[in-house]
Amino acid sequence: MGSVIKERRSGAQLGRLERLPWRRIILIMLSVLIVSTVAIGAYKTISQQRYSADAWRDFIVLGLAQGSIYALIALGYTLVYGILRMINFAHGEVFMFGAFAAFFFSDAYEASGFLDSNPVASIAIMLVVAMLTSTGVALLLERVAYRPLRNAPRLVPLITAIGASLFLQNTARGFFGAQTKGFGVPTALEGTWTILGLELQRTQVLVFATVIVAVAALSLFIARTTTGKSMRAVAADSEIASLMGIHVDRMIVTTFAIGGLLAGVAAVLYSITFESVNFSMGFRPGIAAFTAAVLGGIGSISGAALGGITLGLLQSLGPALILTGYDVPSPFQLKDAFTFFVLVLVLIFRPGGLLGSGEAEKV
Amino acid sequence: MGAITRRSIVRGGAIGGIAAIYIALVGLYTKFADLELVGEQVTLGRVLIMAPGLVAAYTVTRPRIVAGERRSVPFGSGVAAASRTGVITGAVFAAAVWFADWFGVDRIREMFVSVSEVLIDFLTFGKGVPAGLPILVGACVVGGAIGGLARTAPANVRVPLSVGLIAVLLLGMLQRIVPIIFVELGFEADWLYSPSTGGLTWLGAAGIFAVAAGADVMWSRGGGRARERVRTSVREAPAARLGLLVAILGVLAILPLLLGTVISEVLGQVMVYVLLGIGLNIVVGYAGLLDLGYVAFFAFGAYSTAVLTGAFLNTTTGAAEPALSADLNFYIAVWLVALMAAGVGLLIGAPVLRLRGDYLAIVTLGLGEIVSIITASRWAQPLIGGPQGMRGVTKAEIGPLNFQDNPQHFYYLALAFVLLALFVSWRLAGSRVGRAWNAMREDEQVAEAMGVSTIKFKLLAFAMGGAIGSVGGALFAVNLGSLTPASFEIFVSITALAVVILGGLGSLPGVVVGALVLIGLPGLLREFEEYRLLIYGGSLVAIMVLRPQGLVPNIRRSRELHAEEVEQDAWGKDVVGEAEAVAAVLPGGALGVENEDLE
Repeated sequence: MGSVIKERRSGAQLGRLERLPWRRIILIMLSVLIVSTVAIGAYKTISQQRYSADAWRDFIVLGLAQGSIYALIALGYTLVYGILRMINFAHGEVFMFGAFAAFFFSDAYEASGFLDSNPVASIAIMLVVAMLTSTGVALLLERVAYRPLRNAPRLVPLITAIGASLFLQNTARGFFGAQTKGFGVPTALEGTWTILGLELQRTQVLVFATVIVAVAALSLFIARTTTGKSMRAVAADSEIASLMGIHVDRMIVTTFAIGGLLAGVAAVLYSITFESVNFSMGFRPGIAAFTAAVLGGIGSISGAALGGITLGLLQSLGPALILTGYDVPSPFQLKDAFTFFVLVLVLIFRPGGLLGSGEAEKV
Repeated sequence: MGAITRRSIVRGGAIGGIAAIYIALVGLYTKFADLELVGEQVTLGRVLIMAPGLVAAYTVTRPRIVAGERRSVPFGSGVAAASRTGVITGAVFAAAVWFADWFGVDRIREMFVSVSEVLIDFLTFGKGVPAGLPILVGACVVGGAIGGLARTAPANVRVPLSVGLIAVLLLGMLQRIVPIIFVELGFEADWLYSPSTGGLTWLGAAGIFAVAAGADVMWSRGGGRARERVRTSVREAPAARLGLLVAILGVLAILPLLLGTVISEVLGQVMVYVLLGIGLNIVVGYAGLLDLGYVAFFAFGAYSTAVLTGAFLNTTTGAAEPALSADLNFYIAVWLVALMAAGVGLLIGAPVLRLRGDYLAIVTLGLGEIVSIITASRWAQPLIGGPQGMRGVTKAEIGPLNFQDNPQHFYYLALAFVLLALFVSWRLAGSRVGRAWNAMREDEQVAEAMGVSTIKFKLLAFAMGGAIGSVGGALFAVNLGSLTPASFEIFVSITALAVVILGGLGSLPGVVVGALVLIGLPGLLREFEEYRLLIYGGSLVAIMVLRPQGLVPNIRRSRELHAEEVEQDAWGKDVVGEAEAVAAVLPGGALGVENEDLE
C-alpha cells in the first residue's frame, strides 16, 4: 500500500518537474549558495580561532537553555495546529501575560524579602500564577477570537490570530505600561553549579530540569490518559472522533489550556533567564517557537522538543560560527534574522520538518 | 414572541461591564476624558462610558432565528430588556470602581498603571465614590436604552435617529478638520464649533442632527424612490457616471487647498497607505495569498529610491556617501524601483509559492522580518546607513513644486501615483488576469484543471503587489527626506493588512475607506496615537468575526466568505435563487442575525 502511494507521488512530482524545471534549478542554486556560504564562514571562523573552546561551550549551553524554553512554547503551537490545523499566532502573547503575572509576584516578594528567604516556594508560586494566567488568556482567546470562526475559510482565523496578537500586546502596554521591568531572581539562583565536571549557571540548571519534567509529563498525559487519547483522536479526524462520542469542543479547549500551561512555565523560565519583562517580549520568542515547531515537524510533540533545541543551538552558534567568519559587525544583532532564515529554508526545502514526511499538504 | 431570556440579559450585561473595566484599565477613559465632542459635558470619554452598555444592549436585543424564521424583538420589551442590560453593565462597572476605591488606588496602580485618582474622579463624574456611582450606573442605563432603541424602534424612527447621532459623533471627532474647511470657504464656524472647547456647540450639534436625520427621511421617503432614481441614473447614464467621476476628481484636487498644511500632511500619509493597500490588495484580495511581510517591499522602495537619487548615510561623524550610489532624477528612479521590486517579488515568490496558505503567510512574515532586522543592523551600515539611517533623499521638485517641505504639494504627487495604481489595479481586476486570480483564489485545483497556470498568476500577483508597494515606499522616502529603520518594522505589514481587510478584501473603494479610517482618523485625533495598534488589532478580530467581507465589500469575495450561510439560507427557504440568497446575506447579514440553536 505505502509503496504504491509513494510511487504515485513521485510520479506526480516528475510531472511537475518536467513542467517547471526552472523552479528546481533555482532551488538547487539556492542550496549550493547557502551550503557554500555556511561552510566558508565556519571554516574562516574556526581557522582564525576567533573564540576559545570555553566560549564555544558557553554558546552551546546557552543555546540548549534557550532552545528548551522555545520547546515549551513550541508545544503550544504544535498541539493547537495538530487539532485545528491553525497557527495560533497569538501564543507568544499568552506567554507574555504569564511573564507579567510572575513579575508582579517576584516584585512583591523581592520587596518583602520572601524571594531570597524562600526561593523554592516563591518560584513555585510564580509558576502556578503564570500558568493560571496564561491558561486564562489562552482560553479567552479561543472563546472570543477562534471559536466563532471554526468553519471559516482557512486564512480568516490566521488574520484573526494576528489581530489578537496585536491587541493583546497593546493591552499589556495599556495595562502595565510601556517600560521594561527588571525581574527579580532569588540570590540562591545566582552563580554556578558544577555538574558532571561542567560549570553551569544555576538558572540554566533550573531551566533544564523544569523543561525535562514538563515535557515528560506532557508526553505521559498525551500517551496514557483518556483525555490524551481523545485529543489524539480529534487530531487524527475530528468528525469521526465526534461520532465516537468524543466532545470535540472540549478537547479543543483542553488543548488550548495545555498550551497555556506550558507557556506559563516557559514564561517564568524565560523571565528568570533574561531578568526582565516587557509588553513586546512575546513576539520574537513566539515566532522562534513557531519556527521550532515547524522545524521539528508541526503536529508532533517530540518534533517540537527537537526543533526547539535545534533552533536554540542554531541561534547561539550560528552568528558566532558563520557571520564572524565574514567579519560582519555585531553578528548577534542578526540572531533573529537567523531564526527567520531557518524558517524560510525549512518551509522551502522540507515543509514537513525534520521528523515529518518531507512534504506539506498542499490545499 | 421573541422574548429575551433573563440569562441572555445577565450575560450580555456582565460582558458589557467587563468591557467597561477593560477600557478603564487600558487607559482609554483618562486619555479621552478631555476631548469635548458637544458642549462641555459630552466628551469622548463620557461617550465611552455609555458605549459598553449600548453595545451590550444592542447585541442582547438582536433578532433571533426561531424555527428557521427571523424574529425581531418588539419595541417595548426590547427597550425594557436593553435598559436592564444597561443596569447590569452599570452595576458591574460601579462595583469595580467601588472596589478600586476601597482597596486603594495606589496599590492597584503598582500593577495597572492607568488606575489613578483622576480615573476614579472621572468615572464618578467628579462626585467621589459613593455619591457618583449612581450617576455611573445611570449613564450605562442610558447607553443601554439607546442601544435598545437603535435596534428595536420602528424603522422610520430608529434609522434617522441613528444616522443623526452618528453624524454628530463623527463631526465632533473631526473637530480639527471641519472648522478649517469652513473658514477656508469663507463661512463662520464659531456657531458650529466652540472656540473654547474645540468641540461642537449644542446649537451646532442640534443642527447637524436635524440635517442628517432629515436627509435620511427624505432619502427613504416613498419606499426609497429617490434612492432608486439616483441609482438607476448613475448606472444607466454614462454622462452621470462621468459627472460623478469629474466631481470626485474635482474635490480631490481642491482638498489640500481647503484643509491647510497640517491636515494635508495626514492626507499624504493616508495616500501612502492607500498605495500600500492597493498593492497588498492585489496579493491578498485578488490572488488570495496572505502576505505578512509586505514591509519588505515598502522598505525596498524607500531605501532604493534613496540610494538611486543620491541620499547620504547618517553616521556618528556626519554625512557619508553610501557604498553604492547613483544620482538619478526621482521620476526615472521610481520606475526603476518599481521594476526592481517586481523582480524581487518574483525572486521571493518563486521558491515559496508552492506552499499552502498559512505556511506562505508565515514565510512572508519571516522574509519581512529579515528585511527589517537587516535594515537596522550595523552590517547594513555602509550601504543604507543601518541603525542611523539615511538623509537627503531627493525632493523630486518640478519647477516651484516642492514635495518634501510642502505637504500640500506632496499630496498632489501622491494622488497622481494613487490614481495610476487604482487605474492599473481596476483594469487588472476586470481583465483575463483578474479572472484567473478569482478562479485561483476560489479553488486552486479546479483553476489549474481549467488551464489557469497558477504559478504564473501567483508570481504575477507578487510582482504587481511588490511594484506598487515599493512605489509607496518611494513616496514615503520623498515625503520624509530621511529614513530610519524604525519606520520599517512589522507594524507596516499589519497596518496595510488591516487597511485592506477593514475596507473589504478585493475592493478598491474599500482600500481607500480603510486607509481613511485607520490612518486618517488617528492622524487627526492625536489622542489616538498611543492606541493605534490596539485599535488595529481589535478591528482585525472584530471584522473577521462579525463582518469578514469588510466595510465596502467586493461582492464576489463576500460570497466566498459566506458560502456556508448562503447554503443554510437556501436550505431554510426551500427554493431560493443563488443571487437572491447572496443579496440576503450581503447587507450586514452576518451582523444582524445569529442562530440561537448554534450557541
